[in-house]
Amino acid sequence: MDLYAFISQIVVGLSRTVILFIVSSGLSLILGVLRIPNVAHGSFYMIGAFAAYSICKFFGGQDVGFWIALFGAPLFVALIGFVAERAIFQFLYQREHLMLLLITCGFSLIFGDLVKLVWGGEYKTVPVPKVFQGYVLLFKHLHLPRYNAFLLVVGPIVAFLLWFFVNKTKIGKISRAAAVDREMVEAVGINVSWVFAITFVVGCFLAGLGGMLVAPTISVSLGMDHTLIMESFLIVIIGGLGNIWGALVGALIFGLAQSLGILIFPKFGIVLPYAAVVLVLIFKPRGLLKSTW
Amino acid sequence: MVAMKGSRRILLAMMVGLAFLPLFAPRFYTYLISLILVYGLLATSLNLALGYGGMFQFHHCVFYGVGAYTTALMITKTKLPAVLAFLAAPVSAALLSLIFGIICVRLSKLYFGMLQISLGSLVWVIVYRWYSFTGGDNGIHGIPIPEILASTKGAYYFTLLITSICMFILYLIVNSPFGRTLQGIRDNPTRSETIGVNVKLHQLVALIIAGFFAGVSGMLFVVVDTAVFPDMLFWTLSLEVLIMCLVGGWFSFLGPMLGSAVILTLRTIVSTYTVYWSLALGIVMSLVILFLPNGILGFIEERWGRAFK
Amino acid sequence: MTILEVLGVSKSFDGFLAIKRAQFDVKKGEIVAVIGPNGAGKTTLFNLISGVLKPDSGKIFYKGEDITGLEPHEVFRKGICRSFQIVNLFPRLTVLENVRLSILSREKRTWHLFKNASNFYEKECDHILEQVGLKEKKHIVAGFLSHGEQKILEIAIALGGKPELLILDEPTAGMSPEETSRCMELISRLRKELGLTILFCEHNMDVVFGYADRIVVMVRGETVIQGTCDEVRCNKLVREAYLGVSDG
Repeated sequence: MDLYAFISQIVVGLSRTVILFIVSSGLSLILGVLRIPNVAHGSFYMIGAFAAYSICKFFGGQDVGFWIALFGAPLFVALIGFVAERAIFQFLYQREHLMLLLITCGFSLIFGDLVKLVWGGEYKTVPVPKVFQGYVLLFKHLHLPRYNAFLLVVGPIVAFLLWFFVNKTKIGKISRAAAVDREMVEAVGINVSWVFAITFVVGCFLAGLGGMLVAPTISVSLGMDHTLIMESFLIVIIGGLGNIWGALVGALIFGLAQSLGILIFPKFGIVLPYAAVVLVLIFKPRGLLKSTW
Repeated sequence: MVAMKGSRRILLAMMVGLAFLPLFAPRFYTYLISLILVYGLLATSLNLALGYGGMFQFHHCVFYGVGAYTTALMITKTKLPAVLAFLAAPVSAALLSLIFGIICVRLSKLYFGMLQISLGSLVWVIVYRWYSFTGGDNGIHGIPIPEILASTKGAYYFTLLITSICMFILYLIVNSPFGRTLQGIRDNPTRSETIGVNVKLHQLVALIIAGFFAGVSGMLFVVVDTAVFPDMLFWTLSLEVLIMCLVGGWFSFLGPMLGSAVILTLRTIVSTYTVYWSLALGIVMSLVILFLPNGILGFIEERWGRAFK
Repeated sequence: MTILEVLGVSKSFDGFLAIKRAQFDVKKGEIVAVIGPNGAGKTTLFNLISGVLKPDSGKIFYKGEDITGLEPHEVFRKGICRSFQIVNLFPRLTVLENVRLSILSREKRTWHLFKNASNFYEKECDHILEQVGLKEKKHIVAGFLSHGEQKILEIAIALGGKPELLILDEPTAGMSPEETSRCMELISRLRKELGLTILFCEHNMDVVFGYADRIVVMVRGETVIQGTCDEVRCNKLVREAYLGVSDG
């Protein structure tokens, strides 16, 4: 197997990392600031994918559908997240972590079936837009699927925007402070409730975006939320709870381990990321980067 | 707590009823009760670690699945007698608990749970992918079990017998000095340490016992259903078993068994009307957590003070 | 005969030096009180002796044996039992069960899997509960006791371990004056009847000067002085640092 095939496989793995990072960073944000281990995050991811399907279908499979879905699907998910937060989650912040984990598990079950209700049980496909079909040729021998290249561009952009939001905007700074000490922030007169709502919505937006971006690469189906939320939690745990850059590190480890795994053991490759997670947690049970818990 | 005479009589009546059930009930109900017993035992074994031990055993079904697969693989791939396959299930599950336990027990609470989930997911993905050995995502079907146990009735009585014995043993354990120590560890691990209890060692043993009986229920499932599949090791099943403990009441001994009966019966009823069982389960679960945090038996105990422990 | 020796023990947390070369000793059969302002490190010191924390440097000797760095359950087996400042019971178990657990652990019977726990040590539990005055409440769930009773239960649990050295962290904290004197009478009685050695810390100066044989004064993590009540009362450093302040 030549070097270029190897590199191309790694790069494909990196594009998978992008999806994992986007979704996990949303989870990390919610986990770090709101202290909710949101198992329903996987449901939001799935809703993003199905929403992307519907939007693309509405535009008859034309490229313009994809571009509208790129923002439309995550916005739709963010809206659902907003309603969920205002109607239910905002009353639950003071509860014990275990209870929150179990309640969000319940919500995940509910959302899962609601998706089944709305979209039915068959596999859906979202077409790759024509502009991204085919390959990009780099260095004369490196074939890279164009869509993966697109993902590799989107990833850093999202990472930068997230960094900007968390570190440079007022809301981002307030939410970081509220993560550490909610009461202090309230005592200073800031309406923490809205900060939390916005943070939750951003997290859901990211989940929806991840679902939307992954949709053209897989068959969109029920159950995608279950596998993804497990992977996402593992990533967030090895990265350090609540640490967004930890989510990046975790996603890198997971995504690259998966690609390398498939290269070395074609059938069993998918085992490698899980083994990597176990190894990391045995030596660093609190995660690789500093956690906010 | 000593169960009052009233509850002992109820229990006895139920046992008698269960013994005679297959003689007058349609085959489906016999099958359903068998499943309730299997999952009830599984949930009770989880509760040893969770309700009595206070450990966040988030992925208990790994031991259940490993027990079931051990039995299935031994029967289908070797010529060894079925009895050995049955005995091997809890042993392999207990061994896995030992390994997981040694790794996880160093940590507490949430981190314990998360490391267990990662270990469990690793085992799941191996079983899921190892097509040649475990049948991959198809699982193994039509497992040949001994004649006497092959019929619905036979499987039922075998399950009833084994489950009763196991529940009795678990009851003894829970009320023994070990069980009392475990509850002390649950309520106050620091205090337990300072009165001389080696907390980590006791927790490890509790995990091994819980894993052992989970393995038994896995073996029983093979007898009842003659099939195994990778979903038995997936976190969603662990969640369902956890819900059974929650719904029935995780501070009581029979709570998990009751929870199993409630959930499985509910599932049967709901499934005849609609495909959206997960929706119903999710709603039940959310309501129970919000309004009945101690489960049904917990609620009854609070109201009428009867100790079902 | 010296039963406990703390030699040059230090402990820091994330760069903050909580205990600085603490040094004192306790003789067999004595009642020794550790006093000091809030934050002086009294509870940390007790945690270091009982094994909940490990010292960064220094040594702790019990009956001549080095017990530095042992785990809490190992320290317990040597004959040292402690109670906690913030009530630290088994809230869901009854009073009787709380004490019984302590005895079960002492007798290494916690590994019995198949016998009913209720058959064990009922008489001894009753005896201990009688000594501390909680016998009538033995079937009440510990979480429902009054605060003063819970603190007495704390001591009862420690007694279940049949200790030679009893370490009590603020045993009368939060108690009313009668509860306080009852508690301290209990402690003196225990010293006399069971030959216990008692190390405790307190903020209540009446209690300290009324019952302690010797006093150790801690200020900001250091053991400033150890001596009899009169020696401590007259010491200028102590008066400046601590005794001038009214009871905490």
